[in-house]
Amino acid sequence: MTAEPTPPPAPPLLRVLVLTGVALAVGSAASFAAIALVELVSVLNLGLLVAPKARVQWESMPWLVAVTTVLVPTLGGLVVGLVHKKFMTGGRPLGPPDVIEAVQFHKPLPGLRDGLISTGTAALSLGAGASVGQYGPMVYLGAIFGSFTQRLRSGVPNLASIAIGCGVAAAIATAFNAPIAGVLFAHEVVLRHYATRAFAPVTVSSVTGYVMANVIFDRPALFRIESPGIAHGYEFALMAVLGLLVAAGAIVFMRLLLAVGPTLARWIRRPEMRTAMAGLAVGLTALALPDVLGIGTSTLRFATIDGAFGLGETIVLIFAKIVLTALCIGAGFSGGAFSPSLLIGSLTGVLFWTLADVAGLPNSGAAIYAIGGMMGFASAVIGAPLTCILIVFELTRNYDVTIAAMVAVVFSNLVSHRAFGRSLFDVQLARRGIDFSLGRDRAHLAAMHVIDFLQPNAVTATTKDTPNSVADRLHKKGWREAFVLDRDGNLLGVFTPGSNGTIASVEDALSPARLIFHDTTDLADAMERLRGFVGDAVPVVSSKSGKYLGAVSEADLVSAWLDEAARLRKEENAPV
Amino acid sequence: MRLFDLLLFCSVIPALAAADELKIVSWGGAYEAAQRAAVIAPFAAETGRSVVVETYDGSWTALSEHGAIHGWDVVDMLADQARIACARGLLLEIRPQSLFSSEALRDFTPVRPDRCAVPQNAYARVMAYDDRAFAGVKPTRVEDFFDTRRFPGPRAVQRSPDGILEWALLAEGVPPEQVYGLLSTDRGLRLAFRKLDSIRDDIVWWDEPAEPAEMLADGRAIMAAGFNGRFFDMAQRGRVPIDIVWDGRIIGVEVWAIAATTDTPEIAREFILHATKPAAMARFATRIPYGPTRDSAFDRIGLNPDTGVPMRAYLPNAPQHGGRALVQDSGWYANTENLRQRRFRNWLGGPD
Repeated sequence: MTAEPTPPPAPPLLRVLVLTGVALAVGSAASFAAIALVELVSVLNLGLLVAPKARVQWESMPWLVAVTTVLVPTLGGLVVGLVHKKFMTGGRPLGPPDVIEAVQFHKPLPGLRDGLISTGTAALSLGAGASVGQYGPMVYLGAIFGSFTQRLRSGVPNLASIAIGCGVAAAIATAFNAPIAGVLFAHEVVLRHYATRAFAPVTVSSVTGYVMANVIFDRPALFRIESPGIAHGYEFALMAVLGLLVAAGAIVFMRLLLAVGPTLARWIRRPEMRTAMAGLAVGLTALALPDVLGIGTSTLRFATIDGAFGLGETIVLIFAKIVLTALCIGAGFSGGAFSPSLLIGSLTGVLFWTLADVAGLPNSGAAIYAIGGMMGFASAVIGAPLTCILIVFELTRNYDVTIAAMVAVVFSNLVSHRAFGRSLFDVQLARRGIDFSLGRDRAHLAAMHVIDFLQPNAVTATTKDTPNSVADRLHKKGWREAFVLDRDGNLLGVFTPGSNGTIASVEDALSPARLIFHDTTDLADAMERLRGFVGDAVPVVSSKSGKYLGAVSEADLVSAWLDEAARLRKEENAPV
Repeated sequence: MRLFDLLLFCSVIPALAAADELKIVSWGGAYEAAQRAAVIAPFAAETGRSVVVETYDGSWTALSEHGAIHGWDVVDMLADQARIACARGLLLEIRPQSLFSSEALRDFTPVRPDRCAVPQNAYARVMAYDDRAFAGVKPTRVEDFFDTRRFPGPRAVQRSPDGILEWALLAEGVPPEQVYGLLSTDRGLRLAFRKLDSIRDDIVWWDEPAEPAEMLADGRAIMAAGFNGRFFDMAQRGRVPIDIVWDGRIIGVEVWAIAATTDTPEIAREFILHATKPAAMARFATRIPYGPTRDSAFDRIGLNPDTGVPMRAYLPNAPQHGGRALVQDSGWYANTENLRQRRFRNWLGGPD
């Protein structure tokens, strides 16, 4: 799996220079690209009458607004679907799971062309008002800039992974004006370790993104809130309850999202019709409920104003947004689940606040609950509790609000991690065979297969061989067991020559193999099963045909495991 | 001031007969007087051109009705009116790049010259209060305008949706950059009118821009929404203890534009170039508290020639004011005229 050839490491000072240079370059490029993406989407939103400011211009012609409301997402879906089908290698948009996979296994990202097309269709999806998020595409775009270092022969081990982390951090720092959250996101979600070699450049890159967004381009924060703080002590307990509520919502949302894709694929065969249909659903819903269109920045703001939504309206909107987002992402629109999560979560917070308010509980206002719900929900989806807590801190710069949100985040994660998994990304990856649920080392071992460690000089025999000749061959190669095959190459059993030499035939002394691996057996699984195994080699047979493929020695597997553990340890503790 | 006006008028009169005279249309009153003294007279003196000034009501409809008949050349307009007029072909395209260097274009604030209009000064809708009405704590934020519990008393508000809707959302904690986006939605308008409901019984309406300052002076209102220049005038000349709250100021831009029917486009361009030099803007701003629309002009602003008051502190867009500021979105205003008026009349008509 670790295909990257490792050039000799450069001297420490040079490595510091390379890492700093890469962090600055990748950070500014990723940040610039993120700003460009936001601007592009905003121009499209205005031009395509998705943004309220554009819609209100044509307020005197309601039919025009209605027609574009339905047509724009539908046609947008059609185009996005067609582009994915015709031009994307995998036929699907790329996102954070692909970044995680590339970084974790030091693989190159999927092709640059696919990445750029995916970004383009994300801009179109968002621009046409599909119910998807912008942060996934931004993170991917940042990762693309990081991946350019792949070809750099710099003498810094794992440079590409670190640089991708840099791009991701800068994108998040730019998006939220939150550099600390950017650093944490890159570590919590993408890198999953805290080595100084990665931490330092990622931090530099994140700050670069922040400076670009805040100082050079002077962009407003996504979400600014002035909050007076928490008025009553018991509201922290309410936050815990809210955390449980949003966790339930998030689990429903993620399960629905994962289920919709395959179901739709069964119902509608042509992928472009799936996205067009999802767009049509968004458009029709938006006729009655314009809040569901697009990223929903204004809806997010309304959620912080006391009484902006009625009780029934809030419930309908939460339901619509969950279903439409699952539908849009499942159908194949390009875009993330993070910003819709923010919106659904904040509305759930508002719902909770409305109920508390109706019940006559004195409280600190809707904004606090909107933020708590927003971050509780989003952290369950992206599996990044620390990031979400820090985003609140950096957006509100208010200690009380952050602590309240932290309670909601933690309780939400407690439930969702238990009942669903660490995050939507991890579950998506698990479905591709990469399982992080038991940690990074386990995932790495699980990604290595025993088939790659076959011993070329394992001894095989047939039932026709004489015991002595087999014993001779074993003796010469230094093995104690031979694997006996039939005429078609299927494994019959193991032959161990006895010490007394009285065995008449190989067949008589044949014993069934105590342990058999398949070509699909991974290293993690193999290590588990080797516990208590005595013998020098384990046969590997094809899981399909049952044919013998070779044998692996216990010693090879143990050394592979030790090597991988050492590599991870080195990566996770690298000073510079 | 009167004497000065008279002298100025005399200096302009002989030019009336000239063939290539420039006809400038402006708003009259103290505003126009300051404009004549600071901008128009120096132009006439320096270039030897003859200039006449006419007064109009500031609307684009007036331009379309009278512009051609009366031979208007340069028109002083509000930015949103200029946008509409430009879209309807009533204005000459200026091509700012041909008139200004790129450095000068970057100097313009808060907006740059566009297709038909060059910003000349900035005014603001602000909140002001009668200091006598609040012995202890004074209002300091837009929120206080809507807080009748802490600051009870009648509030003077223009009988129009302009400005007050923005304040309603600012008071709900919406950051300035999102105000117009939110007001574009039905929900945003509903929330704004809900906020207005909370002071409905305390509103005294005004229609003429001079009224809010008078209402503060004679005690009909204790707080007022109005234009910063009028409050300044009442406080300085009328010696009334009025103070301005700069938080939530809505900055509007006044522009120079050229009528499409002008017979002297070159002289008109020459005038605009002259009138929007930092020195001219600064001269204007020392006479009346309408801020310059070029950054470099702020450094030149000194004392008011009549009262000796240092003027920089009274300019709506002076960099030293804290609090929230909103630049009026003239495009949005131009596009939502009917909607805002309709919703406002509905709200006025009944208890929502």
